[in-house]
Amino acid sequence: MSSTAPARKGGRSEFGVALLLLALGVWAIVDALGLSDLASRGPVSAKTVPIVVGGLLIAMAVLLAVDLLRGGRGEAEGGEDVDLSHGADWRTIGLLVAAFAANALLIERLGWPVSGAILFFGTTFALGSRRFVLNALISVGLSVGTWYLFNLALGIPLPVGILKGIL
Amino acid sequence: MPIVVGYVPTPEGRAAFDRAIEEARLRGLRLVVVNASRGDALVDPRYATSDDWASVRDRLAESGIEHETAQQVAAVDPADQLLRVAHEANAELIVIGLRPRSPVGKFILGSSAQTVLLQAECPVLAVKAAPL
Amino acid sequence: MDGVSSLLDGFATAITPINLLYAFIGVLLGTAIGVLPGIGPAMTIALLLPITVSLEPTQAFIMFAGIYYGGMYGGSTTSILLNTPGESASVVTAIEGNLMAKRGRGAAALATAAIGSFVAGTIGTLALALLAPVIVKLAVQMGAPDYFAVMVLAFIAVTTVLGSSMVRGLASLGVGLLIGTIGIDPTSGQQRLTFGIPELADGIDVVVLAVGLFAVGEALWVAAHLRRAPVEVIGVSNVRMTRDDWRRSWKPWLRGTAIGFPFGAVPAGGAEIPTFLSYAVEKKLTKHPEDFGNGAIEGVAGPEATNNASAAGGLVPLLTLGIPTTATAAVMLGAFQTYGIQPGPRLLDTQATLVWGLIASLFIGNVILLALNLPLATVWARLLRIPRPYLYAGILFFASIGAYAANNSTFDLWLLLVIGLLGFLMRRYGLPVVPAIIGIILGPAAEKQLRRALQISNGELGGLYNTWFSRAVYAVIVILLVAPPLIRWIRSRRDAGGTPIAQHHANVEGQ
Repeated sequence: MSSTAPARKGGRSEFGVALLLLALGVWAIVDALGLSDLASRGPVSAKTVPIVVGGLLIAMAVLLAVDLLRGGRGEAEGGEDVDLSHGADWRTIGLLVAAFAANALLIERLGWPVSGAILFFGTTFALGSRRFVLNALISVGLSVGTWYLFNLALGIPLPVGILKGIL
Repeated sequence: MPIVVGYVPTPEGRAAFDRAIEEARLRGLRLVVVNASRGDALVDPRYATSDDWASVRDRLAESGIEHETAQQVAAVDPADQLLRVAHEANAELIVIGLRPRSPVGKFILGSSAQTVLLQAECPVLAVKAAPL
Repeated sequence: MDGVSSLLDGFATAITPINLLYAFIGVLLGTAIGVLPGIGPAMTIALLLPITVSLEPTQAFIMFAGIYYGGMYGGSTTSILLNTPGESASVVTAIEGNLMAKRGRGAAALATAAIGSFVAGTIGTLALALLAPVIVKLAVQMGAPDYFAVMVLAFIAVTTVLGSSMVRGLASLGVGLLIGTIGIDPTSGQQRLTFGIPELADGIDVVVLAVGLFAVGEALWVAAHLRRAPVEVIGVSNVRMTRDDWRRSWKPWLRGTAIGFPFGAVPAGGAEIPTFLSYAVEKKLTKHPEDFGNGAIEGVAGPEATNNASAAGGLVPLLTLGIPTTATAAVMLGAFQTYGIQPGPRLLDTQATLVWGLIASLFIGNVILLALNLPLATVWARLLRIPRPYLYAGILFFASIGAYAANNSTFDLWLLLVIGLLGFLMRRYGLPVVPAIIGIILGPAAEKQLRRALQISNGELGGLYNTWFSRAVYAVIVILLVAPPLIRWIRSRRDAGGTPIAQHHANVEGQ
């Protein structure tokens, strides 16, 4: 059985996780305190669960920080496709996020057939595939195909944007 | 100034390998055997298994010629990896296997052989698989 | 008997051509997904949710269940033929299975895995069919405090058993509970945690959450750490077993089923513990101990059966009580909610056709899966040649469609990105994802039960544990919370006393 080495490196950034948990917990409690006690019986109201959860998050933030100070590290998730011996490939992630954002921005202006194709093409590019012609063909095929599939076969409309009238 | 051969565990790859050994013997040159993959997919049939690669090494040992093997994975097409090795080793000859591809197939899927043929700095010997 | 006649009705539903078709699609998809790296049944069901919205719930769930079971079959193919295991539940199969394959016994390994899965799946589904009505009869007597206690048990169990760090598990649960709270509070009508953004008033769509955490988060994570060197696939020709293999396999199949089903039915039993347990049992009981570590067929037969039995077991709490025990079950629960169906003890009555049709189609699905996997295992392995860029591009592509189509809103796409990044961070820093999804999906239901219980008791906190059942459950929870640190403390005391003696022995022996 192959094993992936646990990524226990430079734990400083993990304090950010504790910080995030703390922030979430505080947010939950603050938001809850702004609620009124409408329609509640006894000790439990709309505020209760957010406050309890907020408390849980703050407690965990503290315990996590303690664990980190003691040298514990969160073990990054391994898997058959994952090679943890190098650091994260930020360039790839950035490109993926960009492709995704492009779709989110363009889907209503240019329509799914266009934005979806950009998404697919961008993702294959980000992940290293350089077969541009093939990828472009697949991208367009998929975006147009799914547009038809969703609109006609499933009755779920996807925006058609600039291709209105053609499709 | 060695001979570099791009090995793939397919009939044309093996044909190229055989021919490359012959050439190396004929010319008295060192042979560098390269098996490259992009590492794109979890499974790549063009990446030699450990058994296969071991038999490649065995054959090289038996042949008695001076040789070097390189099995590698890089984020670049295998054809480009082969060209890089050839460039760095200052190869005198590149040997590759050739499989039939239609013009449309070449356009859509690309052709490693074409890449090597057009971009090599030295002569390229393209070998077809032995007819069955 | 009640159950048997309902089951027969269920078969009548399941055998209709269209439902057979959906069962077939489901198991086909499930196997493919089980084989492919990086994709799991939970993600697939989440991605399919928007598409299935226009279908009849029965058909959709038949398909989902097929995916659920199919994923188990596909995962074992990968773990036997490759040097790396697929789903974590298949890790144990890979130990002996891959060794068998390396010694040229891959055919037998695949066969025993497939047949064992079939046996376990069938027996497990039968157990499900027989148990469900019984549990439902008991469950109807459960009141709000009992439900709340069981849900808390589900929360705690999933954080303590999975993964090694209870702190991180609870943190992940907390994040999930928080996200589940976003939206309008049903009792008082106030908006909670919404920043006043109108799109968040209805809470975050289940599709966006499940797809974001599992699909987008996974894709981003893998993209950042793509493994480079390809892995060897071991070639296998016709999949079959010798008589000797059969003889050695059938008892492990049965034992595996017996171990897997109860574990699957209990909150957070999950599938990892029982498969390791099955492996240990088979190793102890085998008449061929020298084979273990060299490719012992019992080491494949037992764990594989356990796997599938535990999947069947997981459906018990889901269908009878509405409690999910795994991530996939949680997503299916979310699917129920999307259809407006409330799982719980009444589900068997109000949606009898759906539930019994589902269970019946599981039997059929198992048969189809056996037929698909026995002869075609090596064909499935070819799927592994798909270059990752296309796999993950496809995931993100369909994830985006799904998220947008859920509410026809771009806002959901941005939410998807945020949740996806959250999923990425969780994977990076070792926060398990399963407690989060269970927190998200079960949280609101738990809150409802909590407030109902306290309303009934008129605000007395004692109302939370005034029944024997809830008290028993809370006792179990306390044990779960206290036991691990206690065991660790006892072990450390024992080791400290034992080590000098062990060292002394070693020194003496080493001379």
